[in-house]
Amino acid sequence: MASRAFGVINSASNFIRVEGLHDYRPIGAFSFLGRFRVIDFPISNMSNSGFERIQVCLNSRPRSIVEHIGSGRHYNINSKRGAIQMFFTQNNGASSIYNTDINAYLENIEQIERMPQEYVVIAPSYMIYKQDYEALLDAHIESGTDITLLYHKVDQAKEYFRGCNIVTLNKQKGVESLERNMGTAKERNISMDTYVMSKEIFIDLIKKSRKESSAYSLADMIALSCKELDVRGFQHKGFFAAITSLDDYYRANMELLDYSTSMEFFRPEWPIYTRTTDACPTQYVHGAKVVNSLVCNAGLIEGTVENSIIGRNVHIGKNTVVRNSIILAYNDIADGVYIENAVIDKWAQIRHVKKVVSGSVTPAYVKRNDRL
Amino acid sequence: MAQTNMLAMILAGGRGSRLHELTNKVAKPAVAFGGKYRIIDFPLSNCANSGIDIVGVLTQYESVLLNSYVAAGGRWGLDTKDSGVFVLTPREKADSGFDVYRGTADAISQNIDFIDAYDPEYLLVLSGDHIYKMNYDKMLRFHKEHNADATIAVIGVPMKEASRFGIMNTANDGRIVEFEEKPPKPKSNLASMGIYIFNWKTMRKMLIEDMKNPDSSHDFGKDFIPVMLDEGKALYAYEFKGYWKDVGTIDSLWEANMDLLDSENELNLADTSWKIYTEDTGMTPAYIAESAKIDRAYINQGSAIGGEVKNSVIFSGVKIGPGAKVTDSVLMPGAVVLEGATVTRCLVADHVRIGRNVTVGNKKSEEILLVAKSIKGEDK
Repeated sequence: MASRAFGVINSASNFIRVEGLHDYRPIGAFSFLGRFRVIDFPISNMSNSGFERIQVCLNSRPRSIVEHIGSGRHYNINSKRGAIQMFFTQNNGASSIYNTDINAYLENIEQIERMPQEYVVIAPSYMIYKQDYEALLDAHIESGTDITLLYHKVDQAKEYFRGCNIVTLNKQKGVESLERNMGTAKERNISMDTYVMSKEIFIDLIKKSRKESSAYSLADMIALSCKELDVRGFQHKGFFAAITSLDDYYRANMELLDYSTSMEFFRPEWPIYTRTTDACPTQYVHGAKVVNSLVCNAGLIEGTVENSIIGRNVHIGKNTVVRNSIILAYNDIADGVYIENAVIDKWAQIRHVKKVVSGSVTPAYVKRNDRL
Repeated sequence: MAQTNMLAMILAGGRGSRLHELTNKVAKPAVAFGGKYRIIDFPLSNCANSGIDIVGVLTQYESVLLNSYVAAGGRWGLDTKDSGVFVLTPREKADSGFDVYRGTADAISQNIDFIDAYDPEYLLVLSGDHIYKMNYDKMLRFHKEHNADATIAVIGVPMKEASRFGIMNTANDGRIVEFEEKPPKPKSNLASMGIYIFNWKTMRKMLIEDMKNPDSSHDFGKDFIPVMLDEGKALYAYEFKGYWKDVGTIDSLWEANMDLLDSENELNLADTSWKIYTEDTGMTPAYIAESAKIDRAYINQGSAIGGEVKNSVIFSGVKIGPGAKVTDSVLMPGAVVLEGATVTRCLVADHVRIGRNVTVGNKKSEEILLVAKSIKGEDK
């Protein structure tokens, strides 16, 4: 049955910057676990929830996401009845204060108004979680509330989830306020920037925003409206990550190295779709040593890999050790290199520098296409 | 309809009975190979990479799975406006009765109407059960340069094995003077690869003759090619250099998989300029656990490994429990080896479960053991 809602995939606010990786692509296009891109998760959630119409906001450097999403066929969206639309903003300098999600909606308001569905689910392209939006929609309709907001209870809000909003709830799960996480307390309800509302309220919020501030985002508008509108929280359970910093990105990848967490998250009945590259299996030669790692295809592993994520088409040379690291696709790590606690962006070659190590919590970062 | 320069027909109907239980449910071309592929991905990807737009797949044995598999031409990029993969099973026609394909040549004869619809100049005939990468466009160039009526791809095999193949005896310029099927005393080592390019007009006439001939078994090797030679047609041998393997038996299928363990192997599936395309299983990367030990392996995404893997090829969906040992083996999609089990010199079929502490296969066995049924192990 076709869903009563259409989906909107939102991009991260301007103040969210992920060191290194973000210089080259929006967060939605970040590689995740070597094989996926972050945006695969919200789109797959929508596709698995039976959504046929999905609109994706692109506010900066759209090339990689446009290539990745393409026709959307690989997300199992019906090619005749369904569609993925991409909303560009004319004004797409990433740092401009006017470059907000609301701007993208306003520039494409006709497309939104034309949607035949009564409801909309808005989900972010910079968070990773699983959620059946059809169940969320049912709960929303049953409660009779204006807006349902998805949140997750975390106990590491001091170190992580910076840049996310925190939700204050009353006893009836009514949202009292929505404010930026400044890292002042450990336990917080983190807003998952995911909302269910009627199309009518959505359009109303977009249009009203211009009277308030040209720099407002949808989250700002909801924060402003939670006194007059009935906004209620819906608690999410299970794996949840917000890719709002390099630390958060690293931690999210590493958490899924735990087999039971990973098996619980990736279920055959809730597939996460992505674009295939037709990469062959990975070659492990005599002398390779790999433990507690996730390894993508088309690799050549000659050295040691421990507690790491190896993207596709990666070469790990002889007598090389990769530990607690994320090696993105097409990297060539030559012989005798030691890498610990690092994120190596795509297409790098590490040959002359024999040691890439970070001593702190924040991983070392090697730039895309870099020669070391 | 748009005129197609060269149309390809893949002969995929073989029973493959020497693959035993592996082909009980699927035709040989749909059998799994190389960690993620099916055998037929090779000719289909070769066609796509050689710029051939229209591919007919001729099949009659156990073809439901094969049909649905190849019908999704998009997997190989054969889904643009003027391209497509067509499954051609024997069908009833207005002017003649319903008949199975009586031979390889007959399979083409029965589809003359299909081929005519595209009005090709050349017809490429392929077999659906070989592992190789080949640019058919280069072969077509050779065919044109020699003004040939037919060109047959050949590969040099060791002289002592030549009597197992169909052998082409050629003149210095490559013109075929004689064809001998499995000769006891071979005069040359150029074996036919079962890859032919024909000028469609000439071939069409000859196929109609062949259909009428009551003495013909309607086979390319036995009937069609010898008649062409008798009639003095210009047949040339195009020598292919590279990896080529018939995977018609359990041992040869296992061997071809083992060839991939050499990181310098000639097939080189990692070459991005000539990719082999296949269905996407949408799985997570391979998970290699803390307890795992991997020594020389070819492992696909979507597998989870907790035990020891040595000299083995592991397909997607395979699970190997802690303390299990897999050596010199091929584990096909979804095969499960539970804790403490030992698998040696085996080819484990799709979704077979090897129970806890079970031992299968033997290091010293001459033949490779096909494990096609699950084996119960000790209870926990």
